[in-house]
Amino acid sequence: MNATANDGSAVVSVQHLTVRTKQKKLIDDLSLDFGPSSLTAVVGPSGCGKTTFVRSLNRMVELTPGLKVEGAILYLGQNIYDPRVNPVMVRRRIGMVFQRPTVFPTSIFENAAFGLRLVGEEIREIERQVEEGLRRSGLWDEVKDDLDRPALSLSGGQQQRLCIARALATQPRVLLLDEPTSALDPAATQRVEATMQRLKEDYVLVLVTHNVSQAARVSDRIAVLHTGHLIEVGPTAEVLERPRNPLTAEFITGRFS
Amino acid sequence: MNATPTAPRHRAYGATIGRIVPFVPALIPMAILVGIVVELLISSKLTNFGWGFWGSIWDPPSQWGIAVFIAGSFLTALPALFFAMAIGLGIAIASTTYLPGWITRWLDPFVDLLAGIPSIVYGIWGYLLVAPFFGSVINPALYAHIGFIPGFGGLAPRADGLGLPVGVFILTLMALPITTLLIRDALRSVPRDLWEAGLGLGATRWETVRHVAIPYGSRGILSAAFLGFGRAFGETVAIAMVLNVVASYPTNVYGSTGTMAAEMFLSLDSAFGNTQWLAALSEMALVLLAISLAVNIIGRRLVARIVTYEVPGL
Amino acid sequence: MASAVNHLRAETAEELLFDRSFRTRWRLGFDKAIGWVLPLLFLVAIIPILDLVYYIASQALPTFTWTVLTSTNPYDPDALGVPIETTAAIMLFAIALAVLLGLFGGVATAEFLPERAAGWVRMAANMLVGTPSVVLGYFGYFLFVITFGWGLSFIAGSVTLAFFMTPYIFRISDLAYSSIPRPIREAAYGSGARPYQYVLRVGAPIAFPQILNGVFLALAIGVGETAPIVLTTTQSVIFPPTIYSPVTFLTGTIWENFSQPAGSPSLSLAFQAALLLMVVVVALNILVRVISARYQKRLEGLYQ
Repeated sequence: MNATANDGSAVVSVQHLTVRTKQKKLIDDLSLDFGPSSLTAVVGPSGCGKTTFVRSLNRMVELTPGLKVEGAILYLGQNIYDPRVNPVMVRRRIGMVFQRPTVFPTSIFENAAFGLRLVGEEIREIERQVEEGLRRSGLWDEVKDDLDRPALSLSGGQQQRLCIARALATQPRVLLLDEPTSALDPAATQRVEATMQRLKEDYVLVLVTHNVSQAARVSDRIAVLHTGHLIEVGPTAEVLERPRNPLTAEFITGRFS
Repeated sequence: MNATPTAPRHRAYGATIGRIVPFVPALIPMAILVGIVVELLISSKLTNFGWGFWGSIWDPPSQWGIAVFIAGSFLTALPALFFAMAIGLGIAIASTTYLPGWITRWLDPFVDLLAGIPSIVYGIWGYLLVAPFFGSVINPALYAHIGFIPGFGGLAPRADGLGLPVGVFILTLMALPITTLLIRDALRSVPRDLWEAGLGLGATRWETVRHVAIPYGSRGILSAAFLGFGRAFGETVAIAMVLNVVASYPTNVYGSTGTMAAEMFLSLDSAFGNTQWLAALSEMALVLLAISLAVNIIGRRLVARIVTYEVPGL
Repeated sequence: MASAVNHLRAETAEELLFDRSFRTRWRLGFDKAIGWVLPLLFLVAIIPILDLVYYIASQALPTFTWTVLTSTNPYDPDALGVPIETTAAIMLFAIALAVLLGLFGGVATAEFLPERAAGWVRMAANMLVGTPSVVLGYFGYFLFVITFGWGLSFIAGSVTLAFFMTPYIFRISDLAYSSIPRPIREAAYGSGARPYQYVLRVGAPIAFPQILNGVFLALAIGVGETAPIVLTTTQSVIFPPTIYSPVTFLTGTIWENFSQPAGSPSLSLAFQAALLLMVVVVALNILVRVISARYQKRLEGLYQ
């Protein structure tokens, strides 16, 4: 099914995306637009392709050998899969946070500054962006007195928020979150969810989650995937209360906690 | 993990024997190791050679300074380590990051194959083919073109090519499989998540290797350095064949010296019957052993799990 | 022009994705270049091996006839028959002793030793593997040749070589038994098996391929060793040899003859020996890989 905005305001526009292996299609002709200042939750049963989908948005899906990507994904009108485009460039504006906190074994500051150092940003600007990123992810007050502390000394929830800050430091427009709270305890989960709520005002967030109630809490819009197809998409409340596709209903009632 | 049911209590002492006996064979490696040290101590009679033992002049039957050989061992092993680490690092990075799986599947074992070649075969190839090549092509070329750099000039290189350059070359080849294997392991131990996190922040593969993988695997890489060094340091036969073993310091890069292992190997024959000479050689053996063991222990301690056994000498 | 804009402030998609600033081009270019350069380093390893093998083969094959291998005339300068037989004899004796010492030790470590002690013992085994072979040769010389009074002999060489190979067998036996899946181990002991029964009936069939591999590897390493052998036995033509007489060894033959003048039969003999040695080592290594491959499949089936 198609879910494209026709007014051209989409930040990211997925157009007929198909991701296939030799044997089967992991994503089948998926089209979806993402507008500014939004949080779209991508849900579905295991194996439905939600992780594959999200990883195609920043060309991380290419890291898995044997996958072919067809179709186009437009970022501000430019196809990121254009053969002239190097994936490295895409990832500066489309950032990603992973399932488990993946902090590097360096200091908090160095973690956050990682992306900025790569592009050769000057030190003053780096410090500014690092602070900005840490503020936006809600970690600043907790670490501001000692940014040189090893990042691994932080708690799990703090590490994950550091990962968010790290991704934000390069000033992306889009932030992809692949089940960011599944490895965290409830308190940490709550902090990260609060962060996401704040962030959605300024960024385009795409959240993969298996937790439907989390989707209900934070997202504006839910996209439901099933075996690689987009079976339903719409405002959160609508999809959850009055799903149009029977598969959606099945999925929700099975998982709604 | 090792909880065994107790032995049947038929007879009191039978049970005790039954409990002790299984342990005994396990002590064999320690016994051998201790035996080696003890035997060497005895044969060296801990003869007091005085401070001269650590001096630089080795001239049986009168002088017993082994400093030359200690220096020689380091002088050959350290450059070899440097090259083996540099090349090993490059190969390991290429194998883990840049080359597709279907290539590395057979290419990696190829490098490990280097370790299986007996040292004497390296020696005969080195002595008869590589050394002359160094002697007629490489050394003269260096001498002619960069002879102005201190160390590359001075005494003209030998025509037969025996000396440090070919020695270091052969040692590099012998240490290479170890460094490559261990660095490869270290890089592979980086969790997928961490690697992808680096890429996800807009880093190129090289940048991720440099800033994420190598720092993460730094202990393994250090371990590769120690164990690779140990291999080069203890090598005996190949270096004996390829180095023109003398008890003196080289005057320049093409010169020659002696390593502890090579000197020990070559002189035992001549030292027959001469207890002083034998004692000196035995003490040299102890020094060689001590350094090798230290390097080995440190190198192994750096990595948590036991290193793979696919490479002999590791 | 995209490059005129500070690439750090790329705002439009065009500026971002088609960033042509120096820094970006450098980063991407370097990554690409190094992806070609680093793999070339493999050649540093590959070319020497190929050259070595080619050299040995090209020097040995021209003068090779089957009599080289079979002639046991000790006075024939071109005959490897005697060294082959004595080498085989030494290896057989040495590996038997090594297995005796190493197998029991390794199994004992895996099964009976508490973890702390096992750690020490394993470290000792590792250290033994790391000792220079010349040190082991000295040990054999002083202990067996001199102190025990065996002189430079078959027995001295064999026992020294045995001690050299023991830690390899030890480690692999330890590893083989330690990696037996826990469920199997617990099931065996749970149904009342006594330790020796477990070791023999349950553990042995599972661990056997790995240990066999270890034996072949130890053989491959042992047959190529020079120092421990040359220092404890010498090249001699006493034939037939006895236990206490000096014997030849394949590597010893190479050691004795490698500096002979070019073209002489002695040098040719050295090459024949080297070629034979390489063939044996390669064959053993291939054997090891074959067994590994088949063993892997077995273990997978075993452990679900």
